[in-house]
Amino acid sequence: MNYTTEKSGDTIKVELNGRFTFGDHSSFRKLIEEIRSQEAETQILDLSGVEFIDSAGLGMLLLARDEGEKSRATVILKGAQGQVKRMLEVARFDTLFKLED
Amino acid sequence: MPATGEAHPRPLVAVAEPLDQTRAAQILGGRHIFGDGAGAHAELFFGRSPEDFEHRNRYQLCLIPSETGREWLGALVRLNCNYFVECYDGFDLGDLGPLRTAKRGANWDLLVCMSTQSAYQLPMARKFVTALRHRGIIHDTIAPTVEMAVQEAFANSMIHGNLEMNTTGHLSMDRFNELGEETARRLASLIHGGRAIMLTAKKRRNGNVEISIHDQGSGFVPPDETPVPTLPGAESTFGRGLPLIRSLCHDVTFDRGGRTIRLTFAPDASAALPLNTNFVAGLEAAEQGDLRNPRDATILIADDTMISREIIASYLRSDGFTNLVFAKDGEDALEQAHKHSPDLIILDIIMPKMDGYEVCKALRTNPLFAEIPIIAQTALEENEGRTRIFEDGATDLILKPLNKAEMIARTRIHLENRLLVKQLQAYQERTQSELEMARDMQEMLIPKAEQYRGTGLEYGMTISASFQMSSELGGDMWGLAPIDDDRLGVYIVDFAGHGLGAALNTFRLHSLIWSDDRHDDDPGAYLESLNRHLKGLLPVGQYATMLYGVINRTAETFRYASAACTSPVLGNIKTGETTFLDGSGVPLGVIRDARYETREMPFGIDNFLLLYSDALIETVLDDGAFLEGERLLKMVQAIISETGGMTDLASHLADQFMDRAPVKLHDDFTVVSLQPNPSARTTKQHQE
Repeated sequence: MNYTTEKSGDTIKVELNGRFTFGDHSSFRKLIEEIRSQEAETQILDLSGVEFIDSAGLGMLLLARDEGEKSRATVILKGAQGQVKRMLEVARFDTLFKLED
Repeated sequence: MPATGEAHPRPLVAVAEPLDQTRAAQILGGRHIFGDGAGAHAELFFGRSPEDFEHRNRYQLCLIPSETGREWLGALVRLNCNYFVECYDGFDLGDLGPLRTAKRGANWDLLVCMSTQSAYQLPMARKFVTALRHRGIIHDTIAPTVEMAVQEAFANSMIHGNLEMNTTGHLSMDRFNELGEETARRLASLIHGGRAIMLTAKKRRNGNVEISIHDQGSGFVPPDETPVPTLPGAESTFGRGLPLIRSLCHDVTFDRGGRTIRLTFAPDASAALPLNTNFVAGLEAAEQGDLRNPRDATILIADDTMISREIIASYLRSDGFTNLVFAKDGEDALEQAHKHSPDLIILDIIMPKMDGYEVCKALRTNPLFAEIPIIAQTALEENEGRTRIFEDGATDLILKPLNKAEMIARTRIHLENRLLVKQLQAYQERTQSELEMARDMQEMLIPKAEQYRGTGLEYGMTISASFQMSSELGGDMWGLAPIDDDRLGVYIVDFAGHGLGAALNTFRLHSLIWSDDRHDDDPGAYLESLNRHLKGLLPVGQYATMLYGVINRTAETFRYASAACTSPVLGNIKTGETTFLDGSGVPLGVIRDARYETREMPFGIDNFLLLYSDALIETVLDDGAFLEGERLLKMVQAIISETGGMTDLASHLADQFMDRAPVKLHDDFTVVSLQPNPSARTTKQHQE
């Protein structure tokens, strides 16, 4: 998984790309540090470029949500498609996140 | 077919360089891989990429070196072999070995064994599933589900099994970071990172596919079945895989004290799945008796009363059927069916030992009898029995008391149907074998890996290519035309349509291209002359797209002309920039005096060039979209940035394409990449 971040106003948008799986520890860690370093009320994780996610990847999204809560930011998952969308549905992430198309 | 017993079969082993003879011999010696010790006298074949190995050879084993990254994972899809083993330091299969014997018939349809260190970095689940699709073991439709389950099971076996990580409890960011660091430490250690992880797959006779993941950890004993997939909550994040796996598979079982997890997938009933003939060259189809005349048919009459058997026989004999065999009860019917392989069965429903329903069911589960006509005869008039016998597999039903004319008519009609189907099958098989010959010939028009690689080196370039013929014959072709020390010509062609016509046209054009020595012409003028010749040969309505270009290594230019070819990608490995070049132009063979513009681009040491046929950009991928425009450029950029440009770009791209494309392509697929290779050209160089 790789990512790019973009900040505009109170919103930080992170575009994730590729496969997001158990081996993505370190890139995710960097991602969280990058989000932490910038104050934002809204954190949008754009998943439209993610082609595959496993349960560890879902776990990391949950961590991102916990981190967001600490700084009172809203975390939004955006644009999930295909397998990623299916995983979010199976795990009932609609109850935990704000999901956007 | 039973395996033939050869005295000392020599297994063919594909060895991926840089592994050498010594290392291969070390691993193959002893009995950890070949249980019969056949590894010691294996016949070794060496190659740098999967393309170097003859597809007509069936390799019993492929040895892959450590730290090759993704390159050799592509072999799972492209090499005619089903056992892949990484040769890493500390290689020790323990109770996982021996993996096989040299005799024909392996235990697994696909096996991959790697060190935890290597496997952790690689998209193993994805590659494994892609390979299963391409081998016809699972169908495209269930592949996404299988991949999700395999990914979870694989992650479990790696993290909980081989790495013995404890991920229970609430996961905070700090804990996550700790776990990440501990994972990295354990991966680096030989104790954990040097453990083997093995994925195996087997298709069962009932169509189920079993995929197992075997690890060398201390054994993970799963908690009792959780009835419903647990919802994500404050619990652990990793290791939530098991409920998910259970929800995706038909069945999950554990073995080897929890060090093997076995996932069973039921086949997709809606999709019939022919085995991929590329990978079953070693199997032989069951001999089918030749039936030309319905009167020569062998008919099995199963009835418990002798008088009924005699009546039926006399009816049939009166119409000229003489090959009659008899069975006196249900069990006898099965026995006689196996003994005589009848062409039609007349079956009584009420019989001792085993009734007609059971006989029908038993026959239909055997592939040998899956299509044989079965006429059930019964005195039952109630609907239930009549419906049931059809459900159990009968072809037709005839009521007792038997009517002679009806009996004969039904027998004839079912035999004639069967005969027609058989003839049609025979015709198809013959056509198929002729098509395969044509395919082989067409493949000879394409440069072999050692040829294009060698030519590349002469020009200080890395040339990589991937070519896959469509399910039918196609019209793709590419080639290299060395001109002088500095200049190398390259062409890529795609004839419209596919099938025999397109293939024949490809041969025509190939001989035109090589009949004169005008490759040093200006590319535009070259296409113009080729077009004039081709227009004279081709019937109206047939045409080709083509690109001809010349790379000049001294002038650092790429000059090309295009006849409606796909737009080549020109990129820079240093800056990561990629652009589409102009591929516009009139297709070849459409108008006689077509003009072609020669276009020139700078092509220096940091550039690379990608040529491809439209199958790359016009195939619907698993997400329903094409790999075109920006998306293609992004994928190319990702490969370049991931590998620092030091790569066989075309093979990488093809691998990623295969992961996401359906198994059966409707068109030929060609990708060729060319890039200067600094290490082969310059004498002074500084690399990291």
